[in-house]
Amino acid sequence: MAEPAHTATTEVPKEGGFPPFDTTTFPSQLFWLGITFAFLFTVVWRVAGPRINGAITSRRGAINSAIAEAAKARAEAQSAQAGYETALATARSRANALAEETRQSLNGEIAKAKAEADAEAAKAMHDADTRITATRETAKANVAVAARDAAIAIVERLTGDKVSSQDAAKAVGN
Amino acid sequence: MATNPMEQFAIKPLVENPLFQIGGHDIYFTNQSLLMVIVALASALFLTFAVKPGRLVPTRSQSMAEISYEFVANIIHSAAGNEGLKFFPFVFTLFIFVLCSNFFGMFPGSFTVTSQIAVTLALASMVILVVIVTGFLKHGIRFLTLFVPKAPIYILPLLMLIEFISFCTRPISLSVRLFANMLAGHTMLAVFAGFVVSLGAAGGILSVLSIGPMLLIVAIMLLELLVAFLQAYVFAILTCIYLNEALHLHDHH
Repeated sequence: MAEPAHTATTEVPKEGGFPPFDTTTFPSQLFWLGITFAFLFTVVWRVAGPRINGAITSRRGAINSAIAEAAKARAEAQSAQAGYETALATARSRANALAEETRQSLNGEIAKAKAEADAEAAKAMHDADTRITATRETAKANVAVAARDAAIAIVERLTGDKVSSQDAAKAVGN
Repeated sequence: MATNPMEQFAIKPLVENPLFQIGGHDIYFTNQSLLMVIVALASALFLTFAVKPGRLVPTRSQSMAEISYEFVANIIHSAAGNEGLKFFPFVFTLFIFVLCSNFFGMFPGSFTVTSQIAVTLALASMVILVVIVTGFLKHGIRFLTLFVPKAPIYILPLLMLIEFISFCTRPISLSVRLFANMLAGHTMLAVFAGFVVSLGAAGGILSVLSIGPMLLIVAIMLLELLVAFLQAYVFAILTCIYLNEALHLHDHH
């Protein structure tokens, strides 16, 4: 308790009550302010400022270049996709064309084969017709002969007379 | 029992004898000198070594340094344009010096450098000096048109007088604003701390009541932290506004 009283008695006349307005301290204050502020200013100006600025700009550069790289990769991927799609489209159209061509050539062959078969069948039918006609004619001729013979045989059985084949033929209408 | 709340602002030599003399004035190494040295050294070391150029993902302390850098750069850019960025080291140093002085003064038992009118007035005078030198270097005698606003001729003399007075009061308003804010806040803390001590010493129910001013001290402490930042910010932005006038006179960029 003795100490504050002691300092109070020594301080009051020296400071005049309000320490910030005690002009006797001003030279020391200004001197040390000048030294410390100049020191800090020099460090900020020459060392810290460029260092921080370098860190910020290098990060910004790294980010920007990474973004640019990503954009480039994206463009590449897009062009690759476009190429793939065009390749796919051409392959598909080629496949379609090939299928169409095959179908047409098959159709032609089918039509040809069908025409050939038709012609063959028509020929066979015609041959059959002529054969039938020929057979019919022979059969007709055979019927006349058979009728004459039958007539001769009937007459002979009934009358015992032999009839010439000419007569018999005349008689049956041939 | 009551301690003088102004005692915390007393500047006491830490070394008994003056270091040397300048122009007949004794130069002491005082408690304030110690804090100024700590502020300057700590902020210089922090700003230099927290940052490693080329580190892509910043550490916490690097982020702090970079954020304060960009904060001040943005203040300058928005207030004084691209041309103002020439003054970046100056404004950044001012901001950091004032901010660290305010913050370091918040430690109990330390000393608030910016609670001394000599310091704040010196800083403000330095700002005005830089403004005047910049203005005359850039515009020559035309810098004086700063005091001639666009107005009818019959009112011009009065306006010129007002502009001149407002220019002259700038170093005072700039320094007293910072000084008074720091002084008032710390005085208030000391007064309430005195209440805590005297109530606690009174005994009985009064001792219990001393928790009231104690909580109040905590609240004021938080407010003072805000004020500490805000005053550094105000100091920096006003510097930028004055620099802008020196750079661009009345034509706005």
